[in-house]
Amino acid sequence: MLLIPVIGVSLGVAVGLLLPWEIPISYKSYTALAILATIDAIFGGMRAELEGDFIFSKFIVSFFANAIMAVALAYFGNALGIDIYLGAVVAFSIRLFNNLSLIREFLIIRYRNR
Amino acid sequence: MGWAGESVGILFFMSSMVLKGFFNFTVNYYGKVSAFKEGGYRMGNHSWKIGVGLASMLLGMLLVFQFRTETNVKTYLPQFKTVSELGIKWNRMQTDLDKKETELKSLRQQIQGYNRDEEVKSLQMAAGVTPLRGPGVEITLTDVERPLKSYEDPNLFIVHYDQLELLVNELWAAGAEAVAINGVRLVAQTGFSCAGTTILVGTKKLAPPYIIRAIGDPGTLKAALMIPGGFIESQILPFELGIWIKVQDSLYLPPYKGSSVYNYAEVVPEELEETTDSEMEGEAGADALVSAESWGSVEEGEEP
Repeated sequence: MLLIPVIGVSLGVAVGLLLPWEIPISYKSYTALAILATIDAIFGGMRAELEGDFIFSKFIVSFFANAIMAVALAYFGNALGIDIYLGAVVAFSIRLFNNLSLIREFLIIRYRNR
Repeated sequence: MGWAGESVGILFFMSSMVLKGFFNFTVNYYGKVSAFKEGGYRMGNHSWKIGVGLASMLLGMLLVFQFRTETNVKTYLPQFKTVSELGIKWNRMQTDLDKKETELKSLRQQIQGYNRDEEVKSLQMAAGVTPLRGPGVEITLTDVERPLKSYEDPNLFIVHYDQLELLVNELWAAGAEAVAINGVRLVAQTGFSCAGTTILVGTKKLAPPYIIRAIGDPGTLKAALMIPGGFIESQILPFELGIWIKVQDSLYLPPYKGSSVYNYAEVVPEELEETTDSEMEGEAGADALVSAESWGSVEEGEEP
């Protein structure tokens, strides 16, 4: 269960180290948001799987929708001089901890039932 | 090549799983959604592994790229860790700016109060390069006029350069503002010296009669010369020289006509000015000692 994201992250790190790219400095804050969105998606997907209603297309669509919305917020906040992206950061973080707690509970229940 | 083939295989596998998950979803979407929870449809569906795995891979890559950028930024950009640090710097610069602005203001005021023409004029007057006009005294000084007796030394009865110098000195001391002798304007560097029967004033040879014109308060100038025990009594009467003092309402003094060339002296900027009192004492004392010791030999050497 927890092996999938660990393997995925280490694979991604390996690929990233092989690739010579880096993020342009002006897009730095957007990437940070994208990272948050990805973490949120990972935990959300795991929770959905544990609850038994993981749907791949929904996962993909919600992931991109969230990421695009967050980046758009950051962009407009930048243009308006307000740090709206903080809202996205807070929302993602709250969801992240929510999902984490749910995952934890599911895992505990599953362990007990065994 | 093996690596590329493997990756193509993995990609193929992944896409097939994606499609499978997608169709799974569409089928279920139009069917009963609750079927998921009962577990009938979901068996053997590993689409979540693909999704979460792909997201995790993306996360890993993004992390690496972001980390790289962050490291570069920290290496190449100056470090201001906190806002307060920047604030401190800003404050410092602001106080600097304020200081400079007040300085600028005072300098502007100085410029406003500064009248260039006036300063040039006063400096020209002090340097003696402009003709001047004003009230003053005109003094005529001549050698003795009666025929000398055979036992009298004629050398004693002519005007000497030191007498002229004393006269001019007396005039300056009495507050003369400008002095000219026979049309030669006296400036700061004008020296007097003996040149046979004539007197060298600056670079001009002058012969008697000497007409000295001095601008200043006529009464004071005249009184300064005629004071008992003063110039006339000590320098003129004993040698029976001729002297006439005329008070004039309007005297014309010509400008200094020589050049002023400075080969040795340099102007010291205002900020480098030194207080020379103590230095002067020390060095002058040493010089005086040296010159006192070698005075005899120097005189022998230089004046054969």
